[in-house]
Amino acid sequence: MKSWILGLAVLAVALPGAAMAALDGPKAKTIDELAKMFDSSRCKSCHSQIYEQWEQSHHARPMMGVAGGLKDTPLAMKGATPFSPDDPSKATIATFPCFKCHLPQAMTHAEDSVAVEYAKALVAQDREKIGKLQITCLVCHNTKAIVHRLSVGNPEPNVLYGSKDVANHPDPVFKSVKRSDIMQQPLVCGQCHGLGPNLEFENPVQCANLYGSYLHAYIPAGGTQSCQECHMKPINGIADHLIGPNFNDKEGTIARYQKTLSLDVQTLGYEWLLQAGKHIPKVVVNTKINSSAGHRIPDG
Amino acid sequence: MQSRHYHPQATNEMSSKMLYGAQVKTANIRDTSIQPYRTKEESFEFILPEGVRTVDITVNLAYDVVNPDMRYNLHNITRRVSLDR
Repeated sequence: MKSWILGLAVLAVALPGAAMAALDGPKAKTIDELAKMFDSSRCKSCHSQIYEQWEQSHHARPMMGVAGGLKDTPLAMKGATPFSPDDPSKATIATFPCFKCHLPQAMTHAEDSVAVEYAKALVAQDREKIGKLQITCLVCHNTKAIVHRLSVGNPEPNVLYGSKDVANHPDPVFKSVKRSDIMQQPLVCGQCHGLGPNLEFENPVQCANLYGSYLHAYIPAGGTQSCQECHMKPINGIADHLIGPNFNDKEGTIARYQKTLSLDVQTLGYEWLLQAGKHIPKVVVNTKINSSAGHRIPDG
Repeated sequence: MQSRHYHPQATNEMSSKMLYGAQVKTANIRDTSIQPYRTKEESFEFILPEGVRTVDITVNLAYDVVNPDMRYNLHNITRRVSLDR
C-alpha cells in the first residue's frame, strides 16, 4: 500500500508541465531550459479544447515556417544574411532578430547560449530540437498581456492574464488570473504581427505588416472588427486558439480564403474595328476581386 | 496566358533588387496586394488567331504559399466566349 501511494506521488511530480514555474527565475541557458520555462502542457488538463487548437496553430511551431521549413536557416549560415555569424558558436540572441516575434521569450528569458544551440540545430536541420521552441500559452497570457507597462506595471511572474479575473485559478504556480485590458483588443496581436520595418536592430528587418495594414488601411476604410473577432471566433463558446489560417491545412486554408476573397468575372467577345475594313477578333475579360479581410492579403 | 501578382514588394533600399526574407528586406517599395474594402479590378484583352470564333477563358485566383510551387487554388472560373451571335 505504501509503495502504491509513493508511486502515485512520483507520477504526480513527473506530469508534463509540472516543471512550469513562475517566470522570474534565472535566464535559460539551453533550448530545453527555455522550453521547460514556458512549457504550458499542464494547461491542457483543464483547457483541452483550447490546447488542442493551439497545437495545430502556427504559434505551436513558430520557428518551422510552413510545411516544416526551417525559415531561420540562413541566419545560421555564414554570409547568408547581414546577421549571420561566422560560425554557429558565435551566434547570440541579437543575431536572431526573428526572436522578437517568433520566440519573444528568448529576448527576455534566454542567455546567448540558447542562440548558439539554436544556430547549431539549424545547421544540423534538427527539427525535433527546434520544434521545442513554441509560442506557448504563457507568452500571450503573461509576457505579452500588458503593453501599458508604465501605467499598469509589468506582468507578474506568477499570474496569468485573460479577458476576466479569476481569483482562484487551480494551478500550483499561476494561482490567479487577472484581466488584461488588451487581451481582446488588436493591440495584443499587433505586438508581433507587425507595423512594418523593425528599425531597432543593427540592420533593418521587415517581416509582417499586418497590424500596420489593419491600422492604416482597414480602419480608415471604416472597418470596426478586431483581429480576435475574425481569427478567434468562439467554438462552443470558447475563443478558437487555432487562430487560423493554418497554412499546413491546405483544404482549410483554401476554404478560408474562398470565403474572404470573392472573384467576379465578366467576358465579352467582339470584333474590334481599329481601322476601316479591318476587324480584329477580340475577347475581353474583366475581373473584380473583393476582400472582407481586415488587412492586406497577403501579409502575416 | 496573362497574369497579375498581388503582394507587397520590398528591397533593402540600398539597391533596386527586390528581396525575399525578413532579415534582408527593409521596406516595401511597391504594394499590389489586395486591400481591405478596395476592389481590385483588372481588364485582360486577348486577340484571337485568325479563324477562331469561340474560346474557353479560364480565370484562376491562387495563393502561392512561400513560392509558386506551393499553390493553393482559390477560384477557378471558366466561360465560353463566342463572337457569333
